[in-house]
Amino acid sequence: MTNNNLKHAPIMPIAAKPSQYGIDPSLVKKRVAEMPGMCSLKLTELFPELPPTIYPGPEGALDTLYKVARQELDKVDMSFIKPNQSVNILASHHGFTLLGGQPYAILLKATRDAIMEKTGCKDVRLRAGVGMRFRETEEYIKRYELDKYFGPGKTRGVAPVDEGIPIETEIGTLYGIKAVYDADWIVHCHHTDVREVHFHRQVDKAVKPFGMSYARIETRSTYHQNLGPRAANFTARAIFESKFVQSKFAFASFLNVGPHGVIGVDADNDLYAVNQRATFIGCQLYGKVMTLFGKIDKCIAVLDFPCPVPYVFCAGVIYANFTGANRDLYDMEGTPLPPYTWYTEAFYKKDGSPILKDIPPLNPAIKMCVHNYSWTGYPSAFFSDHIPTVVVGSEQAAMFDVEPMNIEYMSHAVIAKTTESAMDFAYKVTGTDKVIIFDGAMGGLNCSESLADLLIAKAPEVSKEVDTVLMPKWFKQRGVDISVLDKLQKK
Amino acid sequence: MKRVTIMAKVDPNICRGCRVCEKVCPVLAIHVVDKKAQTNDEACRGCANCADRCPFHAITMVKREKPFVVGVDVSKFDREKINALCAKAHFNPEQVLCYCVGVRAEEVAAAILDGCDTPEKISSRTGIRTGCTIECIQTILRLLEAAGITPKPPLADGWQWYGKTPTAWTLPEDVKKKYNSNGFYFNEDRKLLEEIAATNTEKKG
Repeated sequence: MTNNNLKHAPIMPIAAKPSQYGIDPSLVKKRVAEMPGMCSLKLTELFPELPPTIYPGPEGALDTLYKVARQELDKVDMSFIKPNQSVNILASHHGFTLLGGQPYAILLKATRDAIMEKTGCKDVRLRAGVGMRFRETEEYIKRYELDKYFGPGKTRGVAPVDEGIPIETEIGTLYGIKAVYDADWIVHCHHTDVREVHFHRQVDKAVKPFGMSYARIETRSTYHQNLGPRAANFTARAIFESKFVQSKFAFASFLNVGPHGVIGVDADNDLYAVNQRATFIGCQLYGKVMTLFGKIDKCIAVLDFPCPVPYVFCAGVIYANFTGANRDLYDMEGTPLPPYTWYTEAFYKKDGSPILKDIPPLNPAIKMCVHNYSWTGYPSAFFSDHIPTVVVGSEQAAMFDVEPMNIEYMSHAVIAKTTESAMDFAYKVTGTDKVIIFDGAMGGLNCSESLADLLIAKAPEVSKEVDTVLMPKWFKQRGVDISVLDKLQKK
Repeated sequence: MKRVTIMAKVDPNICRGCRVCEKVCPVLAIHVVDKKAQTNDEACRGCANCADRCPFHAITMVKREKPFVVGVDVSKFDREKINALCAKAHFNPEQVLCYCVGVRAEEVAAAILDGCDTPEKISSRTGIRTGCTIECIQTILRLLEAAGITPKPPLADGWQWYGKTPTAWTLPEDVKKKYNSNGFYFNEDRKLLEEIAATNTEKKG
């Protein structure tokens, strides 16, 4: 098959969304994917071994997903939940940013229905945690009408500054959000999307929300300041294994997501079993795209998605991970400190140089960042300080300039009036026509034709490298038995 | 150091005096008086916690007519004392502690040397923990502890902060041994943090 057969018309990106964290959607006049010279690649053509998706899929794909979820949930033991007891289904913000948000909302609904039907329990609530945007899940609860589905008073967005509860762990006292644990049972409803590989390194990824979106500021500060870039991941396990949490944990219900879409549902009473399977998905499926992106020699990176700067997606990889793609983020020993993490950010001196000489720089392949559309709500000045950044539109620039987490973002960025002028500027200054677009295109990725050629050429060797060289190393470093691969295939 | 550009504004017609805003303000700049929240404009550092947690959406963040900068000039304090405090808390003086505002360990140490003895006073003076308000509370508590100060949460029923948590230096050996093969690299990370803390950034080259 020639390159041209693999290059398709651009996939229309996720639409701009109304939110207090982003500009009015009407101000997003142009999407970069619509511009001349852009095309799309389908991930299943780059990596034919990727499993088939339920969503995106044919008409009725979301209904199919609901059925698959119910079938999987039927296998879970819920016999200990009594009709007169209460259950909190725990959700996290990021699930709603995946593939338009509907698949995760469907899983939440299916999980609620399964609990009510199997146990007779009527008091099933939704507690949806956040990252740093305290209203974010309140917006999602309304957008996906979960408030109507769960019923009056049953849904609540929770934030890390809300009332807390101490949790005694093997390493000392940590703190959770009180409302997360205010039921007899908790159900952990999450997904396998890798997102912040720079932070979690695919170590206990399935457990992470217990130390993050379900946790108070004290715990999150422990993760990001007290333990170190790899040891930090023990925070979530410490909380999950506490007597308090174990006394409430009922089961986990996960949306199995790959970089190309939803591939299934995994529900289990054993969270560590889910975690092992999630580790496989994270390392093999996402690891291939991540490794492929590491082969890009130079490019313009475009942000064009309704999410904060580091979280905009391209083929399941977030921009923050692309800024670290010059290192193998899955290699725990070869990359003790990724180019971007908060620990890394902390280790830069006042003169802009790193405290230690061997701290890796942000991905030098990114010659310029065109910020066409992205949200506030995450401290992002480190990116504009280290990567030349053009922000489209004075309204967007003004929004960043007063946002509490981004007071200095525009101190390092320049403003272009239009998307066209921003891209022209980037082409002229960088001298490259390779463009990678982080716009959440479903099932594939949007990029320039020149970059598409490079990715098509490199994909086969990357696939082989991940399967035969990298994945055995990655699994060994995590203490994960590689036979999980066989078990998954049998399943 | 922080450029303070916005402040909280309460709509008294919507406010029901529930006190959530009081409980989440990291600089104690908002109080409920006669069942209505009232802000202290000068004290507000513009983090937006009150606006983002108000159950009734009674608070909005508005642009200040006259933005101002808060911060501590570290050059006015004894460098050796700053360095000693940072070292005791296992920080490099130039290490960034607040990812939103960019406050470094040396500035927090200087604020403590200048008499700030609570997280709230330190946030007010330096701007630390007035961005996301999530990630840097432990760094403040560690530096206060290094100075021999054990602060108490500011309100009896407040949610500002509850207490100090484990660090790389307090992890039990048996726990590390039990879980080390799972990819946590406890001792290696502790060594990295110690190397960072011990590096003299004042030397050129």
